Amino acid sequence: MEYQVLPELTPYNRTWFTSGTLAVQHCPDCDVLQHPPEELCHQCGRTSLDTRELAPTGTVYSHTVVHYPADPRLTASVPYTVVLVALDDVPQVRVIGDLLGDPHDVAVGMPVVAEWSEHEVDGEVIRLPHWRKV
Amino acid sequence: MEGKAVIVGVGESPYYKRGGAPDTEFQLACTAIRNAVADAGLTLADVHGFVSYMDRNDPVRLSAALGSGDLHFSAQTFGGGGNGAGAAVTLADAAISAGYAESVVVFRALAQGQFHRYGQAGGASRARGAGAFTAPYGMLTPAQINAMQTTRFMHDHGITQDTLAEVALASYHHAQYNPRAIRYGTPLTREDYHESRWIAEPFHLFDCCPENDGAAAIVVTSAERGRDLAKPPVAIVAGAHGLAHRDGVPAFNERNFPTAHKRLVAEQLWKRSGFGPSDIPVAQFYENFTGPVLMAICEMGFCEPGELNDFVADGNLRWPDGGLPINTSGGNLGEGYIHGFGNVLEAVRQVRGESTCQVGGAAGVDLSLSVSGPGYAPGSAVLLGKG
Repeated sequence: MEYQVLPELTPYNRTWFTSGTLAVQHCPDCDVLQHPPEELCHQCGRTSLDTRELAPTGTVYSHTVVHYPADPRLTASVPYTVVLVALDDVPQVRVIGDLLGDPHDVAVGMPVVAEWSEHEVDGEVIRLPHWRKV
Repeated sequence: MEGKAVIVGVGESPYYKRGGAPDTEFQLACTAIRNAVADAGLTLADVHGFVSYMDRNDPVRLSAALGSGDLHFSAQTFGGGGNGAGAAVTLADAAISAGYAESVVVFRALAQGQFHRYGQAGGASRARGAGAFTAPYGMLTPAQINAMQTTRFMHDHGITQDTLAEVALASYHHAQYNPRAIRYGTPLTREDYHESRWIAEPFHLFDCCPENDGAAAIVVTSAERGRDLAKPPVAIVAGAHGLAHRDGVPAFNERNFPTAHKRLVAEQLWKRSGFGPSDIPVAQFYENFTGPVLMAICEMGFCEPGELNDFVADGNLRWPDGGLPINTSGGNLGEGYIHGFGNVLEAVRQVRGESTCQVGGAAGVDLSLSVSGPGYAPGSAVLLGKG
């Protein structure tokens, strides 16, 4: 799918969206991972959080094949498939992304690997993870 | 929990297909409120409060336009989308039980012709907040979000497409008896359902609520004030609103994904009321989409997910012969999508004996359940009964 909507960067999501890795928010005190990133640790309230890079592999936890383009800019992209991926390293962390390749070749439990696309905006490179069947 | 507040009036504007209303959303709100107040046998001067959820029709503007009494109370719930309908009723109950106002209107007005269409997105080039994690992938609308929940639910429990269809078929069946319903005179067959186009799998067109224009309102007052009005009072037996810890975390990272956000609501509602699912003869389950209704039926305790295919089969959700008729006005799918507030009015009518698919005969039912919109956190539900 081709879509022109990009994330607005914040101090809390910047690493996720620019590093080209699955950099999941991490609390140095509690050693917990939380996703999507928040402005403080859900466990202890610490506001200065770092990230932990997880392996770019997972399995499809759920999916939908989208046929109706809710945005006219997606008219040429349907059908496209969005997958919810449980990461191999920490399956409680689930990541949304589009499925590259055949939109109909998808099933719960299917192994997938992340690939990144690059988008230069306001002098900064945004890197978005996408998913492909292994 | 003693129900101190009672519902004494219901009213709505005519319901229209999106863009079909000759009135503005604000005018529709005023019409619904006037009709509810008239139904109660009260005057607008008796109304001292307004409660809603996700509504843009400000009580400051409403009270001036309607000539209602001095404003003593106004509130809206946070978040939840259509899941706020029951919560709004509990807010009115709280205000009246605490003595902040004697008579309060709870309403929802929604004109998707005049304003934003819930099934559409676009225009923006950047996505904020939790949407930053979903929108860049074309994950934009409630249909897509609820489809993602439903796929996993179907996978985990072997739910069939025909089981989803039963929810749509029940709503359309009931709409054929209700002249207020937008789909009155437009029946739906199982074949129509399966042949309709995909919106976002596993949702066909008829799994999805329409976009409509309209408004609905109820009048809530004290049990004492409600004793001698135009219609018999309907008690708010119990209400519940909320969610379990981390069950509202966005971007599908809820602890209990997929959930209809009803586990805690069910626990609280049954505990507060002293009743349980087996006591309920009729229920309204907000249907934004069919899948979440099935999840809500399970989380409210009517059956286990593994029993769903059998539970909904043979027209069990349909009046007059089904064991648990749901959405007896036609609901969001068949009567009209007023963000689920029409379901609350229908729950009142079932107690009054005024439904066009009346369970239990003209005397009405003793208990009538309205479960608000699954799919978005937090959840809510109200249990109504004889006042």
